Amino acid sequence: MRSTRSTPASLFLNLLVVACTLILTFPLFWIVMMSLKQQAEVMTWPPRFIFTPTLENFRVLFDAAQAGATSYGTIKVDFLTPVTNSVLISLGAVLVSLIAGVPAGYVLARRDIPMKEDIAFFILGFRFAPALLVVIPLFSIFQTIGLYDTYFGMIWVYQVVTLPMIIWLSRSYIEDIPKDIEEAAAMDGAKPFRVVWHILLPLLKPGLIGASLLIFLLAWHNFALGLILSSTKAPVTVALLKLLNPGVQFYPVMAAGLVVTMIVPVALIILGQRHLERGLTFGAVK
Amino acid sequence: MADVRLEGLKKAYGTIEILRNIDLTIYHGEFVVFVGPSGSGKSTLLRMIGGLEPISGGRLLIDNELVNDIDAADRNLGMVFQSYALYPHMTVRENLAFPLRMAKASKAEILTKIAKTSSLLQIDHLLDRKPRQLSGGQRQRVAIGRAIMREPKVFLFDEPLSNLDTELRVQMRVQIAKLHKQLGNTMIYVTHDQVEAMTMADKIVVLKDGNIEQVGSPHDLYHNPASRFVAGFIGSPKMNFLGGKVEEAHDHGLDVRLDAGPTISVPVQPDQMLVGKPVTVGIRPDDFSSSAPGQQEISIELGVDFVEHLGSVTYVYGNAGNETVVARAPQSGWPKGASKLILTAAPADCHVFMSNGKAVRRLHAPASWS
Repeated sequence: MRSTRSTPASLFLNLLVVACTLILTFPLFWIVMMSLKQQAEVMTWPPRFIFTPTLENFRVLFDAAQAGATSYGTIKVDFLTPVTNSVLISLGAVLVSLIAGVPAGYVLARRDIPMKEDIAFFILGFRFAPALLVVIPLFSIFQTIGLYDTYFGMIWVYQVVTLPMIIWLSRSYIEDIPKDIEEAAAMDGAKPFRVVWHILLPLLKPGLIGASLLIFLLAWHNFALGLILSSTKAPVTVALLKLLNPGVQFYPVMAAGLVVTMIVPVALIILGQRHLERGLTFGAVK
Repeated sequence: MADVRLEGLKKAYGTIEILRNIDLTIYHGEFVVFVGPSGSGKSTLLRMIGGLEPISGGRLLIDNELVNDIDAADRNLGMVFQSYALYPHMTVRENLAFPLRMAKASKAEILTKIAKTSSLLQIDHLLDRKPRQLSGGQRQRVAIGRAIMREPKVFLFDEPLSNLDTELRVQMRVQIAKLHKQLGNTMIYVTHDQVEAMTMADKIVVLKDGNIEQVGSPHDLYHNPASRFVAGFIGSPKMNFLGGKVEEAHDHGLDVRLDAGPTISVPVQPDQMLVGKPVTVGIRPDDFSSSAPGQQEISIELGVDFVEHLGSVTYVYGNAGNETVVARAPQSGWPKGASKLILTAAPADCHVFMSNGKAVRRLHAPASWS
């Protein structure tokens, strides 16, 4: 389609896009740059954009054996453990949410159950409550029943973050699939399980991949739950905070930690994008 | 043999009754059309037969087997939806294969059936396409193909042509009628279009407000409508209804004085109880002619509003007294630009409806040819 806008207007809009891009990417750029700098270069003013990059910060982050032998003093950072924790907890949370949330979304989308909208709103309500509201009473409960600092407990409690999203998203995706298609499959002799397996899931696939990425990010970035309910199984967000050692100028190592933290979701998004076919349901009806 | 028997079938949502006591037998090989205005319950009835809508009361028997509580998947029926409901992630071939895959048919059987069905419906060249790459008419044919793959006992059609344009609709109408001849299965077809009903059906079931208004052949429904509703619903343009009052009942019928003027003697079942009661006289637009009024005819003066030329026929719209009247112009045509016309009709072509909407039986209705 040819634009009908005047040249100055479209120039202005393009500049706006460029400005937005700059504003959004600047912190990212800054962190990546910081992670490659020496401790001394980080705090210089005016900031230096040309420097000799070093991977020292990443070495400090992962090299548990060499701990203490850095210019930062006696420290031991084992960053691999929290990354592993985060991957396990976040993936586990996504998986559990999918298994529990998609059927729940189906019921909310298709079945006539009493107080349906109230139930749906109640589920969404978990997203309104600040996580700390849940965390503090949970702390003592978790310690009593032995869920404190376990993967199981973490994955469970992360459902507060991930499950409502999956339920609401899958509900809306299922509502987008014409009911006729399911009924046609039933008329064609498919039992409910096979309707789900052969018809519903293939049609939901792109939506569910997108939703899974989204809730993986929510889980990945969660901080409060891990801070209070775990110690050795703490996620990467908590580990990043621990890098802020008082009295030590730790910014470049923390920046390196942030870069590492970003790599996992970015890799997942790049992988997932290929599966996000658009408009798959087009042509089914009408 | 797959007779479908409905015995006192009911559907209610809470206290709201959608269908009340539907009794109907559909014989093997019949083409039955459920017709009625929207909200009459015709689609719900079809979906109950299909197993997509739970039955609130009564019995549904297919092949003498009670199927009230049998899953749609196990009823072995084929259904074509208004929206076609093709599986968008599958090719045409996979769509056609799906019912047989569900029935665990062998690969060889599936391939043979696909070849047979696709050539029958002329969709062989489309087998590798996805539904989104098909036109409306092609999708419709694929949907029909998918429904016949399992060779079901009964086919259900839920307004299958309403999303097609007029030309295609006429084509598909013929194709479905042909298919019925070729396959000889029982077909139940829902439509709100009385032309579809008239042209395709062996038997028409007219539904209104959750009740069966009348069951009969297209010919019966046209010539012997059981009620004013059926009379108005079947036939296009609609039957004209003129208010009147019964003056006398005698051996040859009823004398009715029309509000629009004349008194006419209509050959219907005489009933002394009707004398003095208000009735409605129905005359089809096609039963009017403009020949000179004679003794055996009734004549009504029409103030012409407008004239509709359809090519083979011309209809004149106007007013007689307070009523709107449509009449077919005779072959010879009417004086151009005339603002008033004398319409005449044979009393034998008239219908009389009581104030409760029921028809008074006609004494000389044309014999059924079906």
